Amino acid sequence: MKRRSVFQSLLGVSALAPAAAAQTPPTSNAPAADDVFKIDLTTPDAVADPRHRFFTPVQFATLEKLCDLLGPAYNGRPSARAAETPQFLDFLLAKSPADRQVLYAQGLDQLDIDSRARRGRGFAELTGAEASELLAPLKAKWTWKAPADPLARFLREAKNDVLRATQNSKPYADAAAAGSRRATGVNTYWDVID
Amino acid sequence: MRQDYDVVIIGSGAAGGMAAHTLCKAGVKCLMLEAGPMADMQRHRTMKAVYELPYRGFGEPGRFPHITQASEFDANLWIDEKANPYSHPEGDPFYWVRMRMVGGKTLRWGRASWRLSNFEFKCKDHDGFGENWPVTLEELAPFYDRVEPLFRVSGRNEGWPQMPDGKITADESRDSTSIQRFKAAAAKLGVPTTKPRRAVGTLASSVNLLLPDALATGNLTIVPNAIVREIGVDASTGRVNAVHFVDRRNKREYTVPAKVLMLGASTLESTRLLLNSRSRLFPNGLANSSGVLGHYLFDQFYVKNTVVAIVPEARGGKGGRSLMGGAGYIPRFRNLKGKEKSFIRGYAYDFHSGGTPAPELLPAYGGELMKLIDELQGAAFAMTTMGEGLPRYENKVSIHPALKDAWGVPCLHIEQKYTQNEFDMAKDAMETGAAACEGAGFEVLAKHWEMVPPGESIHELGTCRMGADSKKSVLNGYNQTHDVKNLFVLDGSAFASGGVQNPTLTILALTVRASEYLIDQKKKGQL
Repeated sequence: MKRRSVFQSLLGVSALAPAAAAQTPPTSNAPAADDVFKIDLTTPDAVADPRHRFFTPVQFATLEKLCDLLGPAYNGRPSARAAETPQFLDFLLAKSPADRQVLYAQGLDQLDIDSRARRGRGFAELTGAEASELLAPLKAKWTWKAPADPLARFLREAKNDVLRATQNSKPYADAAAAGSRRATGVNTYWDVID
Repeated sequence: MRQDYDVVIIGSGAAGGMAAHTLCKAGVKCLMLEAGPMADMQRHRTMKAVYELPYRGFGEPGRFPHITQASEFDANLWIDEKANPYSHPEGDPFYWVRMRMVGGKTLRWGRASWRLSNFEFKCKDHDGFGENWPVTLEELAPFYDRVEPLFRVSGRNEGWPQMPDGKITADESRDSTSIQRFKAAAAKLGVPTTKPRRAVGTLASSVNLLLPDALATGNLTIVPNAIVREIGVDASTGRVNAVHFVDRRNKREYTVPAKVLMLGASTLESTRLLLNSRSRLFPNGLANSSGVLGHYLFDQFYVKNTVVAIVPEARGGKGGRSLMGGAGYIPRFRNLKGKEKSFIRGYAYDFHSGGTPAPELLPAYGGELMKLIDELQGAAFAMTTMGEGLPRYENKVSIHPALKDAWGVPCLHIEQKYTQNEFDMAKDAMETGAAACEGAGFEVLAKHWEMVPPGESIHELGTCRMGADSKKSVLNGYNQTHDVKNLFVLDGSAFASGGVQNPTLTILALTVRASEYLIDQKKKGQL
C-alpha cells in the first residue's frame, strides 16, 4: 500500500516535471547557491514495510495479539498495531543481546503453548477476556526485582516495550499534535563528535 | 620553538578546569591534555523527534551495557564502551560511567552542590571507622566560599552541622502544598528537609564557567584527543618529568615535558594512569610506596525511586500548581549523636512532587492501564536515596593482565561490593521514606531498597586517598603525592570518605586549595 502510493507519487512528479520546467521563467526567484535550504524529509517507516527478521510467523502473530491487548487505541491515541510496534520490536529484538532475544522468543512461545493447553487455540486467536488469564502476572503488585517466572518476566518487559515503542512512534506524535496536546518526544540530539 | 609550560594538567572537567582557572589567573603557564574531543554546542546539537531516531528512543541494543544514563538522544556524548573496556568479577558488576570530552562530566552532571561536613572530614573521630581527612571543614570553607558563587549555587542555609551553610543564592521559592505536607510529616519523624542546593544556569560546566576565563589570560593551551598512557619519571630525582600520550584519532604517539603535573582525569582514570606508570623507582605504580593506590574504592549507593507515592487529591488531573510540583532534599540525619541504628553513617534523599508514575509500577495493562495513567498524571511523589558507602581496602581497582583499550593502554579490573552496613541503611531509608509519605496522607504505590550496582551513581571515590600518614595514603592534605612532590591528584580519587553529598563541589574547592598551594610552593622554590 505504502509502496504503491510512493510509486504513484513518483509517477505524478515525473509526469508533471517537464511541463513545470518549461514554464519556469529564466529570471525566477531561484535561491542563491549559498542559501540554507530547508528540505522536508521522512522516515523509512512512513513509506515502506519493514522485513521481518527475528520472530517466527507464529511468534509474530502472538506478538501482534499481545500488542493489541497491551496497547489498544485509547482516547485519540493510536494502538500499538497502528504504530507498527510489532514490526519495530521484531527489528529491535533482531539486534538485541542474546538474553533478551531468548526472553522474548521463549515468552511468546510459552504464551502460545499455554493458550493451546488451556483454550485449544493459539494465543493469536484468543479474545481479550480469554487472554486475561494468561496475562494475570501483569496485575501483580510491582517488585523491584524482576519475577522469577520467565513468562511473568517477559510480560513485564513486553508491557514496557510495547507502550514505549508506541508512544515513541510517528503516528503517536501525529495524534498528539492533532489533538493539540503538548508535543512529546522532542529533545536535543547530539551528533557524533569527532 | 615550542612553548615551555609550568604545569601540565590532565583532564578538563571539574578538577582540571578548576586548576586551569586558578593557575592561569595567577600567571602560571598551563598545558591541558584532554582525552576526548570538543563538542560544538551549535554544530553538534539539533532538535529531533524521538520517532526520527533509528531505534525509536530505545538506543542501539547492547551499545551501553553499563551506562544507564545514556539515551538515544545523547548517546554520542558517552564513552564508547567497546573501545574503552574494563572488567569486573562475574556476578559483581561495576557500572563505570565515563564521558571523554572537553569539559568532562561537567557537561552532564546533576549539579547538586553540598559541602562536606566534619562528620566526613573527621569521620574516624565520630564513629571510629576509616580515617580522618588531613583537612577540616574550617580549612576548606574559604575555598567553598569561592567556588559556590562561581557555579551560581542556589539553595537554603539552615545552620545544620551535617549540611554546612554556603555562600549561595537564597532559594525563597514557595513550596507546593504537597511538599509542605511532606515536610510537616517528615518533621514529626525527626527528619529534616530543605530546598535542593544546586548550580543554576543553562550550562554549569567547566566549558562555560572555568575554561573561558583561563584561556582569556593567554596562559592556557588545551590539546583535545590526547589520551595519556603513562607518566614519565626522572630516575635520578624521582620526580615527574614527562607525559606520554597518544592522539585519539590517528594513534600517533607524543611526549611532552612536565615540570609539575596536576592529574584530574576522574577517580578511576587517574588511578589507572598512576598504576600504568611503573618504573624501577615505582614498580607498583607511580606514587604508590604505601601500596594503597587503587584500594579503598567506594561510592554513594543509590536507591532510585525508593518510594513512589500518589497524592490522592491530585488524582484525575486535579494536581494544579499550588498542590503539586517542586522538589526538596533531606540531608543525613542518622547517627549524628552516636550510633543509633544497626549501621554507621547515614543517607540522604532527593524528593520531588509531580510527574506520572512509571507504567511498570501500575498493576494493570491495556485500556485499564491507560485509564490509570491518565488518572494519575501529575499526581506522583517520589524519593531517591543516596547512601554513604564505606571505604574498604578490599574494594579496589587493579590493572588487568591482558585487556587493553583501542589505543593499547592496559585496562582496569574493578572490584566493589556493598556490605551489610549499606544494605541495612537502604532498608531503613525505605521504611523511613514510606512512613513520611504515609504521614503526609500520600498513598504509597511502591517501595524498595535495592540499590543500583556500584558505580552507577557516578560518585566513585577514594582510590588515591589523602591522609596524614604516608604509609596509609597516597596524597597529603594539599592533593600532593607523598612520594612525588611535583605530582598532584585533584579528582574524587583523593577522598578519604564521601558522606552522602555529591562530590563535585568538594573537588572544586580542594582543587583551588591545591592550586594555590602549588603557586605558593613555586614562589618558595619548593617546586
